[in-house]
Amino acid sequence: MIGYIGKRMIAIIPIVFIATLVTFALIHISPVDPAEAYLTAAHIYPTPELLAQKRHEFGLDQPLLTQYAHTLQKIAKLDFGTSYLTNKPVWDEVKLRLPATAELAFWSMLLSALVSIPLGILAAVYKNSWIDMVSRAISYFGASIPQFWLGYLLIFFFSVKLDWLPVEGRGSWENLVLPTITLSLILIAIYTRLLRSSVLEQLQETYVQYARTRGIRERVIMLKHVLKIAISPLITGMGMSMGKLLTGTIIVEQVFSWPGFGRYFVDAIFNRDIPVIQCYVFLAACLFIGCNLLVDLVQFVMDPRISAKGRAEH
Amino acid sequence: MSVQHRKSSALTLATMLLLLFVIVGCSNTGSGDESSSAASDQTSTKSITMSWPRDIGTMNPHTYNPSQLFAQSMLYEPLISYQKDGKLEPALAESWTISDDGKVYTFKLRQGVKFSDGTPFNAEIVKKNFDAVMKNKDTHSWLGIVGVLDKTEVVDDQTFRLTLTEPYYPVLQDLSVVRPFRFLGEAGFPDDGDTSQGIKEPIGTGPWMLADYKQDEYAVFKRNPNYWGTAPKVDQITVKIIPDGETRVLAFEKGDLDLIYGEGVISLDAFQQLRDNDEYVTQLSDPVGTRSLLLNSSNPKLSDVRVRMALQQGFNKQAMVEGVTSGLEEPADTVLSKNYPYTNVNLEPITYDVEKSKDLLDEAGWKLPAGGTVREKDGQQLDFEMIFDKTDPIQKAMAETIQAEWSELGVKVNLTGLELTVQIKRLKANDFDLYFWYNYGAPYDPHSFINVVASPGFGISETLSALPMKKELDEQVHAALSSTDETKRQELYGSILKTLQEQSAIVPISYIKKTAVYQKKISNFIFPANRDENPFVGIELGNQ
Repeated sequence: MIGYIGKRMIAIIPIVFIATLVTFALIHISPVDPAEAYLTAAHIYPTPELLAQKRHEFGLDQPLLTQYAHTLQKIAKLDFGTSYLTNKPVWDEVKLRLPATAELAFWSMLLSALVSIPLGILAAVYKNSWIDMVSRAISYFGASIPQFWLGYLLIFFFSVKLDWLPVEGRGSWENLVLPTITLSLILIAIYTRLLRSSVLEQLQETYVQYARTRGIRERVIMLKHVLKIAISPLITGMGMSMGKLLTGTIIVEQVFSWPGFGRYFVDAIFNRDIPVIQCYVFLAACLFIGCNLLVDLVQFVMDPRISAKGRAEH
Repeated sequence: MSVQHRKSSALTLATMLLLLFVIVGCSNTGSGDESSSAASDQTSTKSITMSWPRDIGTMNPHTYNPSQLFAQSMLYEPLISYQKDGKLEPALAESWTISDDGKVYTFKLRQGVKFSDGTPFNAEIVKKNFDAVMKNKDTHSWLGIVGVLDKTEVVDDQTFRLTLTEPYYPVLQDLSVVRPFRFLGEAGFPDDGDTSQGIKEPIGTGPWMLADYKQDEYAVFKRNPNYWGTAPKVDQITVKIIPDGETRVLAFEKGDLDLIYGEGVISLDAFQQLRDNDEYVTQLSDPVGTRSLLLNSSNPKLSDVRVRMALQQGFNKQAMVEGVTSGLEEPADTVLSKNYPYTNVNLEPITYDVEKSKDLLDEAGWKLPAGGTVREKDGQQLDFEMIFDKTDPIQKAMAETIQAEWSELGVKVNLTGLELTVQIKRLKANDFDLYFWYNYGAPYDPHSFINVVASPGFGISETLSALPMKKELDEQVHAALSSTDETKRQELYGSILKTLQEQSAIVPISYIKKTAVYQKKISNFIFPANRDENPFVGIELGNQ
C-alpha cells in the first residue's frame, strides 16, 4: 500500500509541472502584457517608462526560460507573488477564501450523498415503481436546469416570496441552505442514476442469487455485498466532483454572493490579475490530483484486489 | 428471499440515511453569524443598507483599484468641492487666491476641522498628504496638476500654498476629484510616510467612519462624531457586497436592501421592471458621460470628412438609443453634454438623413456598382471593422443596429467582439476603424476631454490625426488649459467643440445616466454632481 501511494505521489510531479508550463505559456501567448495588465488594474496610465519599469520589476525582460525557472522556484515555496489588484500576497488572499468554498463543497457533497444513495438504491430495488419515476424526474430536472437559474428560482421562492431564508451572503447555517441545494441538485441527478444502474447490475450477479439461496437476509446482502461493489463508481464520481467543487463553484458563488475561491478567480480573470490566475491553475491541478488519489485509495481499501495499476482483477 | 423482505431492508437503509441527514442538518447551527447580524442590523430606524458589486477595498485615499471611489469619498474630503454645473465650492479650503500669472494657489483652510480620531486638520497635514502623493508622481501622471506641481508650502497653521511650473487652469477641478488629493490623518500614515504601500488606519475628515468591515462581504459606515459640516441624517450606511445584478434586485425586492444606485449596477430590464412597480422609487441622473463612436481618421477611407459625416447621418440615433436602452439613455447631439463648464455652446446637431448621407458618399467617390450592395472606389470596397466589448450587451446591440443601417447605405461593417483589455489596447495602438468610447465625466471634463484630444497615447488624438486643422486644434487646447482669462478660455472651448462637431470623427450617440432605485422610506436622494462621489449626506429616512 505504501509503495502504491509513493508511486502515485511521484506521478503528481510531472502533472503539476505540465500544468504550470501550460499556464506560463498561455499567459505569454495572451495579447495582454502583464505589466500593462498590472497598471490597468491599478488605474495607472501606462506610460512607456512606467511599462519598462514594471516589466523590469516583474522580470519580464528576462529570457523566457529564466522567467519560467523563477516561477517554478517561487511556486515550490508557495510564493505566488502579490495580486496586481490588491497588492497583497496571493497565497494569503487564497487562504482567506478557500474555507468558504470548502464549506460549500463539503455540505453539497454530503447532501448529495445523503439523498442520492438511498434514492439510487430505492430506484434500483423498486425498478419501474413510482419511486423510480420520482428519481428519474429529479435526475432529469437536476441535470438539465442551469445552475444560475435554479439559484435565482430558489431565491425567488424561498427568500423573496416565503421569506424563509436569506438571499445572499455567508455566516449562519441559513445562508448555506440555498447554495448547497443549488450545487447538490446536479450531483444528486448524476449519482442517483449511477448508483441505480450499478445496483441493478450487481443484483443480476450470481453471488447475489447464491447468497439468497443460502438464506442470508436481504438487508445483509445489500449492505455487505451489493453496496460494497455497487458504490465503487459512485466514489469515483464523487472524487471528480469534489475537485470541481473545491476549485470554485463559480456561478453559485456569484449568484449567492458567497465570498469564495471561485468568485475571486473570476475577478482575477477580468482584471488580468496574472499571479492569481497562476496560483489558481496550480491549486486546481493539485486539488484534482489530490481528490483523484483519495478516490483510488478509498477504492484500494475497499477492494484490495485493485493493483498498483489501478484495475480490479475480478 | 422474498421481494417483500428486499423492499423492507432497502427502506430501512434509506430511512437511516435520511435521518442522519436531518440530524446533521439540524446540528449545523454553530458557524458564526456575526456577518449576517452586522449586515442586517436594521433594527435602528436610521440605518440604510445598500449594495455594491465589489469590495470597498483598502480605503487608502492616495491609491486606486481596488478601492471604490464612492467609499473613499465617504471618509476623505477635498479642499474644494465640485457642485452642479461645475460650480466650485469651499470644502476643506474656506477660500483661495490665485496669483495673476496663474502659477501660485494659496488656500485658507477651514477652521476647527478635526479628523475622525480627534486630531486637528491643518496646513501641516495637508502638505504631508500632498507630498505623499507626489512621492509617487508617476502613478498619478494622468491627472494634469501632477505634471505641473512644483512646490507645496505651509504658510501658517491654516494657510497652504501650491506653486506650479506653468499656468494650468483646472487645478481646482483636479483637487476636487476623489483620488489622489484627499487627506489622511496623521495616525493613518505608515512609519515611512509612503502611503503607496498601504496605510495603518482609514482616518479622514469626512462625514463617515468605517465601523465594521469584512472583505468581500460587507462594510458598515457610521457617522463621524467630529464632523465639521452638517451631520448626515442617517446614523449608519451598510454596504453589502453583491456581485450579481439579478441577486441585487432580488435582495432589494425582499427588503434586504434600501437602495441600489450606480452606473450599470442592474440590468436595464430589471430597472424597467422596478420602475413599473409602484412600491419603489426610481430616479435617473443628469448625463454623467457620453457614449460615442470614434471614426478613425487615420484610416484613409475615414480621412474624408464627407464619409464621416455620411456615416453619422446614416443611422437613426434616436430610435437606436430608445430601442436598445429602453429610454434610459438620452440621444446625444454633442460629444459633451451641456452640464459641464464651458460646454453650453450652440452647436448644430447632425441629424438623421439617409438621402443626404448617400449623396455625400457618392460625392466622395464611393459609388454602388451595378447589382452590388457595397460601395466601391478605385477597386476598393467601403468596409470597416467595428470593435466592441463583447461583455457589454448595449455595445453589442448598438453595433448590430449600426451595421444593419449602414448596410442600407452600401457600407459594410464587420463586427469584432473583444475583451475590454484587448479593446483598450487596440485603441491605444490606433489599431481600429470604429470604436465605442466614453468621456470621463465630472469633475474631469471638459478639461480632461480636450487634453486627450491633443495628447498622443490615449487614442483620441490619433483618431483625429488626419483632420486638416489638427495642429491648430492642439494649439487651441494648450492655450485653453493654460489660459488665465475666463472669456478667452470660453472662446477656445467653443471653437474646439465646434471643430469636433463639424469634423464628425467623434460621433456622439447617447448620454449615459446613473440609476437609483430605493424603498419609499428614503427621501431627499440627490445624485452627486461629482460622478465618483457618494449620495448619502442628504438622504433622510421616513417611517414607512
